[in-house]
Amino acid sequence: MSSDHHDGEHHPSAWGPHDWSHGAPHNSWSPIIMSIGIGIFLYTVASVYSWGNMVDSSSIPLVLIGLMIILFGLLIWWRQDASFDGIYEPKASGTPFQNIEIRKVAMWVFLMSEMMVFTSLFSTYMRYRFGIDSCQEVYESGSWIVNSQNVDTGEAVNCFLPASELIASSWFHIAPGAINTFALIISSFTIVQALRWAKKPIGSVDEEVRRKRVYRYLGSTWVLAVIFLTLKMVEWFVGFYIPEIGPIHEHDIMSLVDEGYTIHADHYHPHHGWDDIHLAELAALHPEDYEAYLSAVGPNYEPTNAVMLADIRVSSSTFFVTTGTHGAHVFIGIIGLTYMTWKAWTGGYTPQNAVSIEYFGLYWHFVDLIWVIVFPFFYLY
Amino acid sequence: MSDHLLLGKFDLYWANFVGLIVLTAIEVAAVGLDLSESMTLFILVGIAIPKFIMIAAIFMHLWGDKDSKILTLTALFPAFFIVIMILFIGLTHPEASIGLPDWCRPGYYKL
Repeated sequence: MSSDHHDGEHHPSAWGPHDWSHGAPHNSWSPIIMSIGIGIFLYTVASVYSWGNMVDSSSIPLVLIGLMIILFGLLIWWRQDASFDGIYEPKASGTPFQNIEIRKVAMWVFLMSEMMVFTSLFSTYMRYRFGIDSCQEVYESGSWIVNSQNVDTGEAVNCFLPASELIASSWFHIAPGAINTFALIISSFTIVQALRWAKKPIGSVDEEVRRKRVYRYLGSTWVLAVIFLTLKMVEWFVGFYIPEIGPIHEHDIMSLVDEGYTIHADHYHPHHGWDDIHLAELAALHPEDYEAYLSAVGPNYEPTNAVMLADIRVSSSTFFVTTGTHGAHVFIGIIGLTYMTWKAWTGGYTPQNAVSIEYFGLYWHFVDLIWVIVFPFFYLY
Repeated sequence: MSDHLLLGKFDLYWANFVGLIVLTAIEVAAVGLDLSESMTLFILVGIAIPKFIMIAAIFMHLWGDKDSKILTLTALFPAFFIVIMILFIGLTHPEASIGLPDWCRPGYYKL
């Protein structure tokens, strides 16, 4: 911090704008204003919607007021920080982070808290995944038949159906998730390349080459992030078409929502399977694998074309909330990358402020890191 | 970031990138093979751990950074809580997943 800041003559405004040559501002109304706005927004939006349905429209004006207050807080923040060129780099003075760049420490502490968020989501998934009988096991046991929990009675079995049952059912189903995994890894690589070029010492590289390389690598990262979210939407909502190519037959790959895998799926059954005729056929072919079924239904059971219905809201909710939270982080990254790509295009990155790319890179690698865990355990297993 | 990662003859970023791509390809291929559930889980965990370390150590510069020791400790700090969560999650109410009381089941509050 410069001495000017401590002599009492310089008092940065809590509303901005700020002169960074006097150090970082320690006072701002922005966090308080945004907290109030977020509080109003979340409280009122919970009154308006319940499970995706509008239940009380009278609170909508308050929802809008909450959003306006958030926007106002963001404007204050922008007004204060718009003049920041990324060069000013204060060091932490407290133990245990003494003499480490404050922004770097802040980013790591932020990522630490983010890790806790994803850990809670992941442990929730583990608890339910291992705490609820899997739908396939319930189906194969035949218990749903003897308990009359079938299509005839409208009763549904409470069981866990991991999204991987649908996603990992074929190479085409798994393609969007797999491509996304490669996209995130490539984007992690492109952003470190952007940092590498931005950090090259002055004089060691032509400045125009530096500008082009940095914005091309950041732009590539942006494109890969957009591809990620696009494929996520395809996987969740749109599906895609496979034309006839050689031995591959023409067919559609349905989205998860079209498959019926939704957070409202309290009477789910797959388009093919989970009927007692198919189960009886399997048991006849492999009786050693279907002992539970045979003992449950007894030797004289005659299939009635009944279909097992499943309440899979817990499994689908854990999938959509976890992958959706990750997707929201990718979206936030896209917003940051949009600004950074523009800044790089204008030649805004030099060795003096290249650490800004490194700090954002930490966030982006963290997003990749989370996907390294999410992809195998939500998509493949 | 330490300069040896950037300027050494051996480009660690490229090597890390290629390694991650290869491990991911193995990961996806393993699911295509008709392996047992436990073997699939073993392979997925066995691949996820080195991928996690490779990203954190190389791309996030926890290895080779001048402040890597304290930053690694910072990154590992949540591990304590994560272990608590993972270890004790199985000790919650045996029917926590299916026998929750109405007040903590979806739709109870009708907000």
